[in-house]
Amino acid sequence: MAIFSQAGKKVQFVGSARSILSNSGFETQQEEDTVTSRKSAGGYALIDLGFKINPNASTEILGMIRIKNSLGGFWGSNVAFDVRQLYVRGVAGNVLRYQFGNIDYKMTPYTFYNHNADMLLAGTGVLKMKEDILNYESFYSKNNTWRQQGAAIDFGLNFPKVVKDIKFNGFITRLNPSNLTNIFERFYGGGNMIVHQSKYLTFGLNQVSVFDLKGTASSENAYKNSVSSITYDLKLDQEKWKIGVKGESGISKAGYALDTSQLEDFFANTQLYVKLKKLNLEVAAGYMNNGADFRSAGAQSKRINYSQSNNFFDRYTNNQIQRGISMYDLYNDPLLYASSISTGIMTYDPSVNNALPYGTATFNRKGVYSTLHYADSAEKLTANVSYYNLSEVRGQGTLNLKKFNYLKSDVKIDLGKTFAMKRDLSIEIGGSYQLTKRESQIEFEQVSLTAGALSLGGQFEIVDKLYLLANVYHFESKGNDLLPVRNTKDEIINFSVYNTNRFENYYAGGLKFQFSPEIYLSAFYETNWNNGNGFNPYKLNQFMIIYNMKF
Amino acid sequence: MKKSILYLLIAIPVLFSCRKKEADKFDGPGLNDVYGAFSVITPLATNVDSVDFSIGQTVVFTAELSKITDWEITIKGQSSGAVKRIEGTSSTIDASVATWSGNTTDLPIFKEEICDVKISFSGESDTLETTIKIIHAKLNPGFLVADFESGLNPGWSSFIQSGADMDFQIKTDSSAAQGNSYYNMAGTVDWDYLIGYLYFPASAYGAPQYPLNANPDNVYFNLMIYGEPGLVNTILLFQFQEDEDANGGFSNASEDMYSLQIPVNWAGWKMVSVKYSDIPCLVNGSPSSPNGNGQHNPDKIQQINMLDLANPVTGNAKTKVDYILFTENAPLNP
Repeated sequence: MAIFSQAGKKVQFVGSARSILSNSGFETQQEEDTVTSRKSAGGYALIDLGFKINPNASTEILGMIRIKNSLGGFWGSNVAFDVRQLYVRGVAGNVLRYQFGNIDYKMTPYTFYNHNADMLLAGTGVLKMKEDILNYESFYSKNNTWRQQGAAIDFGLNFPKVVKDIKFNGFITRLNPSNLTNIFERFYGGGNMIVHQSKYLTFGLNQVSVFDLKGTASSENAYKNSVSSITYDLKLDQEKWKIGVKGESGISKAGYALDTSQLEDFFANTQLYVKLKKLNLEVAAGYMNNGADFRSAGAQSKRINYSQSNNFFDRYTNNQIQRGISMYDLYNDPLLYASSISTGIMTYDPSVNNALPYGTATFNRKGVYSTLHYADSAEKLTANVSYYNLSEVRGQGTLNLKKFNYLKSDVKIDLGKTFAMKRDLSIEIGGSYQLTKRESQIEFEQVSLTAGALSLGGQFEIVDKLYLLANVYHFESKGNDLLPVRNTKDEIINFSVYNTNRFENYYAGGLKFQFSPEIYLSAFYETNWNNGNGFNPYKLNQFMIIYNMKF
Repeated sequence: MKKSILYLLIAIPVLFSCRKKEADKFDGPGLNDVYGAFSVITPLATNVDSVDFSIGQTVVFTAELSKITDWEITIKGQSSGAVKRIEGTSSTIDASVATWSGNTTDLPIFKEEICDVKISFSGESDTLETTIKIIHAKLNPGFLVADFESGLNPGWSSFIQSGADMDFQIKTDSSAAQGNSYYNMAGTVDWDYLIGYLYFPASAYGAPQYPLNANPDNVYFNLMIYGEPGLVNTILLFQFQEDEDANGGFSNASEDMYSLQIPVNWAGWKMVSVKYSDIPCLVNGSPSSPNGNGQHNPDKIQQINMLDLANPVTGNAKTKVDYILFTENAPLNP
């Protein structure tokens, strides 16, 4: 879909369209629950219509609007118009690339990075479709970027000697506006310099800062969080194998101007990796040490803040207790996801991820880890395994440290390719297991928490372009922990007892017709049984039809 | 080249993976203080058995607890009934949080007496007790107008209406707020607000004007007033007459008089402290402009009038006053 001018594509239409219809049922085992509604039906149709304009060969302008009509809205009611994306980008003088407006940006895992610390297992089948929608709605990309509003530039220099080339990147974004009284204009900016010295060595210098613009509020108590790091990749690449050391180390500082002391700490993460090219195998072993006071807003912002309430059947039983965020909700509710970075420490769910709740950039963690990646050349079999053996750097409320064991793996088998079938048949198995322990002779200091998830999914092309989808997901956590309670300055002021005896079972099955790689129509049924942490079990059922296209 | 890379491969992890030991500290409050069992490790003790507050001695209370706890030390005079309370939240009770210089929380003021000391803990049934003997009570710096310990000063002047049950006199008994004596004012006058008065001219102290600091922000007027339980009829009015022209007298037409009106609507002893610069000029109880230079001049106060008033319609009035004292820079800390 493009309008052609005499000079070529001047204007293009890009975007996506989606329509969802759902019919949900909620069941509790409490017969006396006469308050909670048992059924919910809804849906919407939306179109994200973008106009990509190329006024010249080096400039691109994109404006995308969203028109969304909720199910049951007629004659303009329940219709929302939003601006979804706006940017101008281009190349100045064939040297400097720039982008203004909405930018999807990341730097390094410790400076500016959108870690996915809550959805530990790769989705497939029905879960893959739902995960894709969540990511699209929240502006998450496969590259772990955060959608920001601001400006970014980059340029590179080539050299004849000493170093091959140097790339410079910089960005500035606005996190929140001032209210002209007590809230500052808050910005986030930084940049890096990547030096490609030779085929053996690449290193980078990275710097990011969240800062309040003084004078934009009547207060003098401006916030600042700056992170500086060095990244490096030193490698020896041979015909049959590759070996190298890569990692990132740096320092951070965070606090308010009027605070008597600032949080300062450092972090280090380094790994030795080996790639055996004939075996299609890559293994790595590393050590990480993230200080207890290491703070990096751009890398420690979570996608989900667990202190928020559910939006879908948010209360149940006659007492209308709150239904906590479950694994099912993580796949089902786009409204739970944040679209911007946060300067405060966000609440996490220790049952979901206690070892690295803020991803690799989680503060107060040290230990060793190893990873394994295998993918044969035809991608008949792909396997990823990672294992972390970590502990706290500094205890919380005690000198005894929590220890974390975290194993995660997923294996994808393409049976269609393996057995040379005409149809696509693939299955994916994933599992994660976390164990948190704190040994102590004092009973109330003892922590023992296990959490695990197992996912099995697949899709089978039963006739041309028509797929049968199936998923099974099991989640379980059991044990106890003591979770820090923080004040507005993120200082620990108390501890809350966390006891869990929770499990969920999820089953889904359906059909998907793939018109093209970018267009599909799917109908599926899913059911999720949740034991309500042993107190108020419930069951969620949902029949859903999704039509999705990108253009 | 390969050797160099090998050395770097080894050096980089070592270089970036060292960090300081943090084995001796933890984040947040200690779990023992949040979830630990309470017990007294070291019982309540004092640094002295007897204390002379008049020469600046203090009492330091000490105790050691198993966890951070809200605690309260209550010191009660066996004779006076005076009470001093010291509160805190800690696991160690020492001089930094539990030092007593002889002051009082609940009037009356401590006397030379034996005091019972008790420490209690929030949410715990445990209490610890000891005693301390006061050899001499705390001395309070300032200019003493009246403590009624030596009878009426002949320089003072008084008037008592001829109403019913009139009882204007110094009384000596254990209920005094300070020392052993106080001034009692009681009676019923059903035709006038004025029940009686007592005037304190500066001449009674051998000076034409009160010897006070000239800065009204630094001068505090303090006294202790007893409210009779069930009787809220009494109004105490203090008038501060300034002799601005230093002619030895006060002229209402050309000099300032500031008035402090105190409705005695509480039961028991209470200390009232007012910064002199906060005392307004009143005419018939309503704020007004002073007739003199309009400035508070505590060093020019020539006479203080204490008037005992009550609404004649609502019945009798009864109150006591004690320990009228000017202090500098801060209210009296009895």
